[in-house]
Amino acid sequence: MTSTIFFIVLAIYVITGGVVARFVKSKADFYVMGEKGTTVLIVGTLAATYLSAVTLLGISGQSYAEGPLVIATLGSFGAWIGTLLAVIYIGRKMKALGCHTMPDFFEKRFNNKKVSIIALIIMIIGLLGYGVIQLIGAGLVLSQVTGIAFPWMIVLFTVALLVFCALGGMYGVVITDTIMLFTMLAISCIIAPYLIGQAGFENMKALGEQLPYYWSIGGTEQRPIGWSISQFLVWILFFSCTPALVSRVFPARNDFVILKSAVIGVFLAPFMQVIVFIAAGSMRVLQPGIENTDNVMIIGFLEHVPSFLGGIGLAGLMASIMSTASTLFVLVGFALARDLYEHLNEKKMDEKQSLCLGRYAQILVAAVVCIIAIMRPSAIYWISIYAGAVFGVGWLPTVVGGLEWKRMNSKAAVGSMLIGTGAFILIDELSRRGVIPLPEQIDSLMISFAVGVAALLIIGFSTRPNEYEMEYFHTMKNTSIADKTIQEITAEKNGLSKLKKQYKQTMVISVSFIFVAALIWGYFFIRLGL
Amino acid sequence: MNIDVFILFFNAFLTTLLSSAVVIWILRKKYLPVIRKMEKEQQEENK
Repeated sequence: MTSTIFFIVLAIYVITGGVVARFVKSKADFYVMGEKGTTVLIVGTLAATYLSAVTLLGISGQSYAEGPLVIATLGSFGAWIGTLLAVIYIGRKMKALGCHTMPDFFEKRFNNKKVSIIALIIMIIGLLGYGVIQLIGAGLVLSQVTGIAFPWMIVLFTVALLVFCALGGMYGVVITDTIMLFTMLAISCIIAPYLIGQAGFENMKALGEQLPYYWSIGGTEQRPIGWSISQFLVWILFFSCTPALVSRVFPARNDFVILKSAVIGVFLAPFMQVIVFIAAGSMRVLQPGIENTDNVMIIGFLEHVPSFLGGIGLAGLMASIMSTASTLFVLVGFALARDLYEHLNEKKMDEKQSLCLGRYAQILVAAVVCIIAIMRPSAIYWISIYAGAVFGVGWLPTVVGGLEWKRMNSKAAVGSMLIGTGAFILIDELSRRGVIPLPEQIDSLMISFAVGVAALLIIGFSTRPNEYEMEYFHTMKNTSIADKTIQEITAEKNGLSKLKKQYKQTMVISVSFIFVAALIWGYFFIRLGL
Repeated sequence: MNIDVFILFFNAFLTTLLSSAVVIWILRKKYLPVIRKMEKEQQEENK
């Protein structure tokens, strides 16, 4: 059954990719789906990209072993806040400036090849390293479950990714994400509650008597609160500037779509995670003694729910891997084709050539990913330690400085990106080898972030922005996505009534979700906390 | 009452509260004045 589900999931991706390819007629369609993204599509791609194998395998395993509160209470909370910042602050501001990719921002803001190249290198290594290691980890688990040999598993995954990324570009990614989000939501809405129901809230609460501290933030390992707070800060840094989430905003039709997607998407982040972590805790009642804790949710799907539901759960797990990987790899292809080859090389290309180049880049990325994942060179494990978090130190200070600081200039950007990233790797390596003993509540990412910010401020205050940078800063400060949206809507027939309708709709969604969240989390608190 | 469990669910609620509050603030700051101004202009035109 498991391998059948695997092939059905791949078939959905490939068929959707083929169908969607017909909509891709221009460069803008390929890179930002012609900026036609509706709220459903943007929420779909945001939530599907957010949920990855890290939640369904790694953190679920830790929740089973140490207690559901260990990561969820503060670590995941940082990720939710980071997601909010990525969408409503960084993504929305970049969208206002007409960015189609995140490297666009560096190019527009500094107009400096050195800044653009450093930003691109950080992005390509960061996304590839993070994406490949997730694919390897998830592929190994799925290979065990389905019985399909690991190299074949990777080849099939990358071929499916290739079909809908190369043919459909951002269209392919957004639409497959939205379709497959329903399998992921089924895990949170049906399968996880089923597991919790099987175990019973009273039995779950009683786990705290058998396993002291199981229902505490420190967990059974009694981790110090300083460690949990450092996780909170690290995950904010990790998520707020990651291109995978920020770039979900670029295909949005207008500002109202972004605002509605922010409310619903940020509601779905804890909704999809916390209920799964509690279900992982319920597995401790249903089947204590699982040694390979990463497999806890898979065992739940296969052995503790009806087979039909288990199949959907497994499909949701595969989709969570595919949706995150597709976003990471499609962005690498975009960076190679659009930002590196076309823009930095200043190649003049027509629409057709540009579209072909974008597709060739996707083929190249898929081939590289496939080879690295199958060969598993030891360097990829080393790169992966730093890959995901590098945006927090390499990009975040420069992006925020670029958006908000008048004195920000290309020298400060280069210094901050290089010093921040260098400090991150150096401090982490030294602490790993015991040369610098770091206290548990201080993560190397936090120190290197502070170093990156300090470098930015020192260089920024000791140098001056050039005329272009000064001028662009003023242009940027006078550019608002709200103004653009108002202009677009009021230019239509019955513009004012359409504007009022969008305003009311967004307001109703914002207020409604406060009540929905209060109901859901209040219910769980009453059942587990009182 | 388990205070740690309370913090988990409060943080989950706070996330939605925060995102909704930011969106409502943007709507009232950026859109409401424009809508009111346009309504006023339309009323004056109708007179």
